[in-house]
Amino acid sequence: MSAHVESFSYDDAIVRKFLWATFIWGLVGMLVGLVIALQLASPWFNFDTAWLSFGRLRPLHTNAVIFAFAGNAIFTGAYYSTQRLLKTRMFSDGLSSFHFWGWQAIIVAAAITLPLGFTQAKEYAELEWPIDIAIAVVWVAFAVNFFGTLARRRERHIYVAIWFYIASIVTVAILHIFNNLSLPAGLLKSYPIYAGVQDAFMQWWYGHNAVAFFLTTPFLGLMYYFMPKAAERPVYSYKLSILHFWTIVFLYIWAGPHHLHYTALPDWASTLGMLFSVMLWMPSWGGMINGLLTLRGAWHKVAEEPVLKFFVVAITAYGMSTFEGPMLSVKSVNSLAHYTDWIIAHVHTGALGWNGFMTFGMIYWLAPRLFQAPLFSKKLAELHFWIATFGILLYVAAIYSAGITQGLMWRAFDETGRLAYPDFVETVVRLIPMYWVRVAGGTLYIIGMCVFGYNILRTWMARPKTYDVPVVSAPKLPATYVDPTPVPAGAGLWARFAAARWHHRWERLPLTFTVMVVLAVVVASLAEILPTFLIRSNVPTIASVKPYTPLELAGRDLYIREGCFNCHSQMVRPLRHETERWGEYSKPGEFVYDHPFLWGSRRIGPDLARVGGKYPDLWHVRHFEEPQALVQNSIMPSYAHLGRAPLDFEGIQARVDAMVMLGVPYGDAVRDAPGQAREQARTMAEAIAASGGPAGIGDREVIALIAYMQRLGKDIKQAPPVTAEAGARP
Amino acid sequence: MADQEQDRLLDHDYDGIREYDNPMPRWWLWIFYATIVFVPVYYLLPGSMGAGPGMVAEYEAEVAAYEASRPAAGDGGASGEALLALASDPTALANGKSLYDMNCAVCHRADGGGLIGPNLTDDAWLHGSAPTAIHATIANGVLEKGMPPWDRLLKPEQVNAVTAYVISLRGTNPPAPKAPEGVVETPAPPGS
Repeated sequence: MSAHVESFSYDDAIVRKFLWATFIWGLVGMLVGLVIALQLASPWFNFDTAWLSFGRLRPLHTNAVIFAFAGNAIFTGAYYSTQRLLKTRMFSDGLSSFHFWGWQAIIVAAAITLPLGFTQAKEYAELEWPIDIAIAVVWVAFAVNFFGTLARRRERHIYVAIWFYIASIVTVAILHIFNNLSLPAGLLKSYPIYAGVQDAFMQWWYGHNAVAFFLTTPFLGLMYYFMPKAAERPVYSYKLSILHFWTIVFLYIWAGPHHLHYTALPDWASTLGMLFSVMLWMPSWGGMINGLLTLRGAWHKVAEEPVLKFFVVAITAYGMSTFEGPMLSVKSVNSLAHYTDWIIAHVHTGALGWNGFMTFGMIYWLAPRLFQAPLFSKKLAELHFWIATFGILLYVAAIYSAGITQGLMWRAFDETGRLAYPDFVETVVRLIPMYWVRVAGGTLYIIGMCVFGYNILRTWMARPKTYDVPVVSAPKLPATYVDPTPVPAGAGLWARFAAARWHHRWERLPLTFTVMVVLAVVVASLAEILPTFLIRSNVPTIASVKPYTPLELAGRDLYIREGCFNCHSQMVRPLRHETERWGEYSKPGEFVYDHPFLWGSRRIGPDLARVGGKYPDLWHVRHFEEPQALVQNSIMPSYAHLGRAPLDFEGIQARVDAMVMLGVPYGDAVRDAPGQAREQARTMAEAIAASGGPAGIGDREVIALIAYMQRLGKDIKQAPPVTAEAGARP
Repeated sequence: MADQEQDRLLDHDYDGIREYDNPMPRWWLWIFYATIVFVPVYYLLPGSMGAGPGMVAEYEAEVAAYEASRPAAGDGGASGEALLALASDPTALANGKSLYDMNCAVCHRADGGGLIGPNLTDDAWLHGSAPTAIHATIANGVLEKGMPPWDRLLKPEQVNAVTAYVISLRGTNPPAPKAPEGVVETPAPPGS
């Protein structure tokens, strides 16, 4: 130990910034959640305003909670702990600052563009291409800052929290870039390069692993730092850390297809998704065990320390949702739960319990240290804990029962073999009381959030005039490293292998470590991605499936803009109750021109895969104006504004051109898309007027949307069905 | 659970955080191994317990099993006379009216005067005015015009009740009806 000692200080100013951003965006995201919860209980809360409607706000809620609230919480904890675990200041204060302000600017951009209807229609990847590029740039800045810090560390080995940060940073970058590859068709409009089945696969490869590498691994990293810190106990098992880290990183990636059970995704992918999800159960629980067993000998502290209370509930919620995840991925369970509120309950156990409570516990622990004043009130923190816990219980109890109720109603047959609840809206009306209970649970959680904010604010107000910046000193790492426990000469093969402590060696070689993580993630990804794209029998072509007409394409873009996919699926599963209710099950070949796919993930309203031709045009005109006039008790908001807004015919050309570049065979439409669209709109509008409908809607947006909806699911019914019908499967 | 004496601290110290060299819990490892072993087992298990023949084949089997067990499909079970008789049965008419209000009124208007769908109160008919013809139109639908096949949603006696109610609407002369469509037919000859 002859290395010379260096003095430095930690950058806590950046941590304080991220802390406030966590609170502010958390509150915003949760309030938007409350609004959309009210909208499901009563459509009145859509306020008849396009940009306040459920379809526009739901993505804002999910993005705000995931990327703004949880995201800033990750950065808060990671910036604080990384510096201390590596005994060095962040690599660059400039990059830290760029990361902070860049990320907040992205959130603001999301909060503006999503309500305005600019969306890619892919869950948790809704933001349009310029914002996606900004996310990539800011993320790379974060990565450079992080790995630069790693390179300058004064701690030889890297701790398990750092492993989880590494895995999160590199994997999120990979997921984000490859899911968002798209072709711009305007400043805030793009089409993904993938179509149909492949787009769905890529989306849920991303979507599932956003849960893994944004909401799970970074928070496990936070847990590994803040839990032993707060409990003042050693981590239970280093061996467990190693095994559960690597198995999580490798197995999680495969699990995405479990979001697509019984869809047009091929069986083999669905089966892999399920099996890997089941294998993921224990690796996930490894984190829970290490977290809870770290508390051995410190349980008495839980009674008096709100920080630990929050951590215990967070880890318990994590354990519950990571048991539930594998269970939901079992196909037979999934066939009941898919498209229902069960999934919503599942994610809220994770988001409110795991992510929320980890964040609260962490910030209660950090606040006195960052603001250099004692926490304003432990009592208020206790109050927050109990209000929020009760809020979560109320929320999930209501929504679990809503999900299971609706799932069972959908599949129920009466004694004559007919659907017991053929009227879809009947299965919605039954849920409304539970939606009000959810509103109550969510409100409690938000009240808790306000108590939290007040407590932190008062703590901040008691801060010293200038923050004390302690000077830390640590020896510089010597250039060479001698392993204190060398491999004994003449030992057997196994003894040499064990004595080499190969994982401990990787821990002092962060570059090797990172390469191994990338390798695990990429190998696992390619194992599913390559067959999905290369095996042609995955998507048997159907000769009668043709591209959308220019007007229908414009209508499809309106469907995307209004966020219809947030409530309506377009995927009939091969289950008898589904085909009885909706018509023939969906075939992979039906979606080959769908950039993006619009299969949806939740049926708040009916499936629309076969809605084409089901109702007359005039029915749609009236239904968009006032859904409740045609379907009593419908909770759909009014889309009367579509009947007023003029359709941008001239803009259709750029969209058709983009589709042509993506390989959609448009033929003649390429030359005069607006003309073709006008002609189709005129014919439709005349027929609508002749059947007693309003005149003059031929140049309104609603006509395009109706054209699209009337096209849905019809192509396979057209002659000639060359390879169609049930026989066409791999 | 492991008692305190088993805990052996490693020489790790990260910002004051120490780590024990405890073994992984036995039950944890065994369940993990079991989930791995489940992979080949799942592929080998017969029928729908395992990977099975795939979702489409399973669906076809489900439909075939249902078709095999379904009682032979009748003609809807009602003769023209029976339907006419129902049209003067207050219970059937009341049932028919509530079903009509819920399902039909959106397109045919609550008073049957016609809106998106044709007027049901005049003498002009697109698909026949005989009770069995009306029954068939309701049961099978007229897909190309947007009329759904209601026998998928309603039970046979419910289709009968709606038919009876529609028969009773004829000649009620609601205000501002939709213009007549189809062929003018003389009032219903019973049982055609």
